[in-house]
Amino acid sequence: MQISVKSFTHPKGYVPLTFLIFLLILPLFLPTYFLHIAITMLFFAFVSEAWNIIGGYAGQLSLGNAAFFGLGAYGAVLLTHYYNIPPWIGGIVIGGAAAVVLSLITGLVCFRLRSHYFAISTLAIGEVMRLVFLNQRQITFGAEGITIPYKGNSILYLQFLSKAPYYYIALALMLLGMYITWKIGKSRLGHYLVAINQNQDAAEVVGVNSARAKQIALSVSAFLTAVGGTFYAQYIYFIDPDFVFGLGLSIEFALIAIVGGVGTVMGPVIGSFLLRPAMESTNALLGATYMGVHLIVYGGLLIAVVMFKPEGLVGWVGGLYERFLELLPRKEN
Amino acid sequence: MLLEVQNLNKRFGGLQAVNNLVFGAEEGEIVGLIGPNGAGKTTVFNLITGVYIPDSGVIRFQGKNIVGLKPYQICMKGICRTFQIAQPFREMTALRNVMTGAFSRTADVEKAKRKAEEVLDFVGLGGKKDVLARELTAIDQRRLEVARALATNPHLLLLDETMAGLNPKECDEAVSLVNRIRNKGVTLIMVEHVVKVIMSLSKKILVLDYGTKIAEGKAEDIRSNENVIKAYLGEEYRRAIRQ
Repeated sequence: MQISVKSFTHPKGYVPLTFLIFLLILPLFLPTYFLHIAITMLFFAFVSEAWNIIGGYAGQLSLGNAAFFGLGAYGAVLLTHYYNIPPWIGGIVIGGAAAVVLSLITGLVCFRLRSHYFAISTLAIGEVMRLVFLNQRQITFGAEGITIPYKGNSILYLQFLSKAPYYYIALALMLLGMYITWKIGKSRLGHYLVAINQNQDAAEVVGVNSARAKQIALSVSAFLTAVGGTFYAQYIYFIDPDFVFGLGLSIEFALIAIVGGVGTVMGPVIGSFLLRPAMESTNALLGATYMGVHLIVYGGLLIAVVMFKPEGLVGWVGGLYERFLELLPRKEN
Repeated sequence: MLLEVQNLNKRFGGLQAVNNLVFGAEEGEIVGLIGPNGAGKTTVFNLITGVYIPDSGVIRFQGKNIVGLKPYQICMKGICRTFQIAQPFREMTALRNVMTGAFSRTADVEKAKRKAEEVLDFVGLGGKKDVLARELTAIDQRRLEVARALATNPHLLLLDETMAGLNPKECDEAVSLVNRIRNKGVTLIMVEHVVKVIMSLSKKILVLDYGTKIAEGKAEDIRSNENVIKAYLGEEYRRAIRQ
């Protein structure tokens, strides 16, 4: 993806710009329920973008990213609860640092293993964190979960009475995630991650310190995921270990990127923009019929994507987008 | 002495893959490593490049012991290798494959790209830089492998059967490439089965059999060495050179 805004008279310039403006004015007319869906779309695009750095570029299938997410969420809520520390510091700085420390431990343990074994070991890390937060009841309130102390409209405490500010934060996060991914993808680190993904032994022989490259990728992913956790806690006002440290969440991060297209900047965005509304609409339309029908339909959709577009939707959507651009008026300079 | 190997041993279970091996490579030399299948040639490469750790022995490069270093550290010291079966990054273009090697000397993407283009031209793949590695022919994949290794600016390059299965014309091209690499000041150690090629390229040839060095010397001496004929070249070869 080339972000060169060299000309607004060319569809390559004005179409993304129009889309961005559309995203910026969306909260002005979108009903609350739909605004909520839009927030989850942007938010999941962001955390999936974070997963994509380690899971997509480096090809290390992490099923433990919820561990980092939970640290960001609990860091924000617990530190506000006990010490009145704002989530900027409690969640992003302290929770983020905790996630980075955990990523270092995870790397030390899990990078000794490859492919499936790596995936299983990260899954264990996530589960261990879930159990720790479930059982340290005196501090974390265990399975009851914890609600963030109410502070009213406050930028300092990241609490807002309307949904629009959350929407803009989620949009900014998604753009930040895309920018970081794009930057990494173009850099030496990005090249190294792709090389490791394709042939680690060959990469080592031409000078790639694969342990270090994967560690950097995992730590960046962990930090961004923790930021996502903080945002989630501030938006939902309530967290519990089973959700924020849950395997379901870890799988969701991976699934969105895989359906969209791993190792690409746009993959997680496309995955999230398709899967989240699909999840919500099957839930809204079928949730009240028979129990689980919406999940069956959603599952069928996932199977269809994996069967027909195993490399993700990004290539296909990209092709459609290119053809759409062809139809638009342009002024060549 | 650029590379000095002393009393190198490696055992896999009951198999002594490398047995008390001693040899060296002088700056600017092309050393040939020959021997029957399973003689331990590739194991020697894996030991030098840190893929395996020797049971005992010393490997000195530019006077420093490199035993125990990781493969990427050994690459940074200036030793690079190719694999017997080409191991390209299959879903990357030829250019990006070679850039990965070039990145060992620079973090700058543009510089790495220029270096990679230069090396691709050098090995004769300049016209195919945007082709995915998996779409290249087997021979071009081997060229790519050499290019990726060269992009790391090695002092010592280990080539593992780069010429197996080439037709005579391709073989000549490969020989000329090896000579050009040597002329750039790179020292080479080559594992090769095409005896004629190795004899024409290398002043010093090492013959391994069951992990043990059974002969070392100039091509002429190797050719007439009884042990080598028995273990590797075969009686057919003796008859052929007599005619």
